[in-house]
Amino acid sequence: MTNVQIAVHTNAATPEPASAAKLTTRNLNFYYDDFLALKDINMVVPEKRVTALIGPSGCGKSTLLRIFNKIYAIYPKQRAEGEIILDGQNLLDPRYPINRLRSKVGMVFQKPVPFPMSIYDNVAYGISHYEQLKRPAMDERVEGALRQAALWDEVKDKLKQNALGLSGGQQQRLCIARAVALKPDVILFDEPTSALDPIATGKIEQLIAELKRQFTILIVTHNMQQAARCSDYTAFMYLGEMVEHGSTQQIFTKPSKQQTEDYITGRFG
Amino acid sequence: MDVIVSERLYRRRRLTNGLALVLSGIAAIVGLFFLGWILFTTLDRGIDGLSLAMFTEMTPPPGAPMGVGGLLNAIVGSIVMCVMAVLMAAPIGIAAGTYLAEYANYSKTGAVIRFINDILLSAPSIVLGLFVFVVLIGMPRQIGNALQDTTAGQAGGWLEGMANWLIDISGFSGFAGAVALGFIVLPVVVRTTDEMLRLVPIQMREAALSLGIPQWKVISKVLYRAALSGILTGVMLGLARISGETAPLLFTAFNNSFWNIDLGAPMANLPVTIYQFAMSPFENWQSLAWAGAFLITCFVLLVSVLARTLLLRKKMSHD
Amino acid sequence: MAVSADHLDRLARGDARADRMFRWSVAAAGFFVLIGLVGAAVTMAWGGREAFATFGLSFFTSDHWDPGNLVFGGLAPIVGTLITAGIALLIAVPVSFGIAIFLTEVAPPWLRNPVGTAIELLAGIPSIIYGMWGLFVLVPFLAEHVYPTLSQTVSQWPIIGPWFDGPPIGIGMLTAGIVLSIMVIPFIASVMREVFLTVPNRLKESAYALGSTTFEVVWNIVLPYTRSAVIGGVFLGLGRALGETMAVTFVLGNANRLANLLEPSSSIAATIANEFGEAFADLHRSSLLALGFVLFMVTFVVLSIAKLMLMSLQRREGN
Repeated sequence: MTNVQIAVHTNAATPEPASAAKLTTRNLNFYYDDFLALKDINMVVPEKRVTALIGPSGCGKSTLLRIFNKIYAIYPKQRAEGEIILDGQNLLDPRYPINRLRSKVGMVFQKPVPFPMSIYDNVAYGISHYEQLKRPAMDERVEGALRQAALWDEVKDKLKQNALGLSGGQQQRLCIARAVALKPDVILFDEPTSALDPIATGKIEQLIAELKRQFTILIVTHNMQQAARCSDYTAFMYLGEMVEHGSTQQIFTKPSKQQTEDYITGRFG
Repeated sequence: MDVIVSERLYRRRRLTNGLALVLSGIAAIVGLFFLGWILFTTLDRGIDGLSLAMFTEMTPPPGAPMGVGGLLNAIVGSIVMCVMAVLMAAPIGIAAGTYLAEYANYSKTGAVIRFINDILLSAPSIVLGLFVFVVLIGMPRQIGNALQDTTAGQAGGWLEGMANWLIDISGFSGFAGAVALGFIVLPVVVRTTDEMLRLVPIQMREAALSLGIPQWKVISKVLYRAALSGILTGVMLGLARISGETAPLLFTAFNNSFWNIDLGAPMANLPVTIYQFAMSPFENWQSLAWAGAFLITCFVLLVSVLARTLLLRKKMSHD
Repeated sequence: MAVSADHLDRLARGDARADRMFRWSVAAAGFFVLIGLVGAAVTMAWGGREAFATFGLSFFTSDHWDPGNLVFGGLAPIVGTLITAGIALLIAVPVSFGIAIFLTEVAPPWLRNPVGTAIELLAGIPSIIYGMWGLFVLVPFLAEHVYPTLSQTVSQWPIIGPWFDGPPIGIGMLTAGIVLSIMVIPFIASVMREVFLTVPNRLKESAYALGSTTFEVVWNIVLPYTRSAVIGGVFLGLGRALGETMAVTFVLGNANRLANLLEPSSSIAATIANEFGEAFADLHRSSLLALGFVLFMVTFVVLSIAKLMLMSLQRREGN
């Protein structure tokens, strides 16, 4: 057995029971200008579970992730066709209000990007755009979000300090707090630990295991071990196509496609 | 045989190199020498004329004895016009820079505006002064005169009122001077804002947008804060630049030997006063001119150094 | 999300409106920048139309400038502008080049930053300071120590002799050219230095590893790599030199006639500066505006060339 397979065996205590689909993609195609970057993606992201997107560099996993909150829309040369169903509605429908989408689907980026404000303001910023909260109510929300991100104890005495003074791992947890503060349904993680040291990485992975009790999580990672450790479901992509997706257990021990097995066993990528 | 040839070749290369290095060193020395000479002269002659009276008394009449008078009205006038120029040009410049960096970054329109802006940056300031003169003084006067001619005989009426108003405002004024200076500050602020905003990492924009925050808020509440010190630097550099500009003021604000803070009338200012005094045969005036020159030089150097340290600190925090 | 869908929809509409308004305002600011330049060109052309119409081609070929009789031929100031700028560049380019090489290749690392910063600060000194130094320090110096010998010896040489056959009073195009060159040196030097710094270290290192001397690296690697940008920098300096007013007005002498290098003469900017305030006749004003238009167009072309050459280096850097 490869290292990865060992990891799956030892870490997957009991696989979670199957859950309903939170996000479903149908015939999803994505274009950079005229270039077809993602071909006919059909997948399901189950509710309140962690789904990992893996694959070699350039396979399109980040591209796919960024469709789910339509962040690609700010770049004029990028467009998506097809459907993504969330709670019965198609996200990609131009009539679907973008702020509703972004309040339901949050995102955490590869490089921690705290806003140039205090820690408190970073978390409160998103909330204040949607709700007019009085000070005590806002304090509660901020504390709640910071607790969920396992950051509260470390920053509760320095909420007014500039967020740039935090360490890399803390900054990333701040970004997570910022995202959960809006109480979304889904959180997208784009290689959230690739810029962090191993200890910080471990903390984030622990956090994700906690967060999945409340949120549906979709995480892109280039680190197979991480996918094996953290996720319940895994989707393997190659050259813009969804090769295979299913439970992490199954993908890493009995992949049904040769390509998947080649990647898992390290023959390429 | 080969060894001799290659040794000669090597020696020639060394010689050329040595010569070139010496020449470049000489060039540096020559350049710095002249610049040092100029600064020294300004310091030397300027300090002589420096006195507390410079800041408390108005410009003296021609031929007044040494030690009489100061530069107060000129200093104040300059401050008023420079501040006004910055207040007018900075918001427009920041907005235009924002447009370039956030909305037109890769478009043809953006490229054209950037090109034009850079040319405006180095355009002759006297031409900008003439432009403001024609628009704010020359044309209103012409239109006013023409209107007056056509309404001649018919007293009253709003046309005549308009004609009178146009003729009224068409004279040298502090306002026109401020506008002319504003056109010099504008391209500096545009360029700095554009560059500083583009330095902010894309992820910060994306992170704010993915919270559902609209673009205008992302720019005004997040990006501006991130680029603040850089933008401020641009404004300061613009201020340093206009504090010594003479040509654009020659036909806009002109000059005033007396105290005047009415923006609608000719306003005293330091550069034109220096010009007037330096070209005159009066010793008193000449000494005041040097004192004024020294003052301007100090101010420009101070603001430039401040702006650069601000920028340096920002650059270091980004790495 | 804790908010109702209805609230979100209302919010979305408000956000979209605000976004549109914001975008519109910053775009308007962007186009305002265009107005600055286009407006300057248009007003000069419009204001100068009377002069162009009255004098036609003779405006450019005749040097007969007579405000009293309302005859205006602009050849003298045009030639003066070109010659002073030419002299300035002749001196400034090699010196700036030497300084830039010194700063990037020759100077020990600890010296580079302070000297570089000094040069940049000096680029910000207002031109009126240069003008005053020129009039009060350089002119007497040249008149006493340099020009007498110059006008006596060089004026006997063939071809270039007549250019130096003038009274050694110290003012004139040569002095103006020298003052202008000192002013332009820090500017061109800092552009060149920035350009030289963009050469990737590995290119230079591989040359050094092969045993090249410093001079050879500069001549064979740095220069070819940055050639167009260096030319761009020179053109940028030229653009500045052409439009300079105060640095030359002090030392040119304001004589509106074709002159040799040692006689009082004029430039476009100096003529405008000296006469516009007193020009009451329409044709006089129009002629000065026409001169302004000529200056503007020439500077525009020169600066555009400069920009295009500098952009070609940027493109190579992947900007």
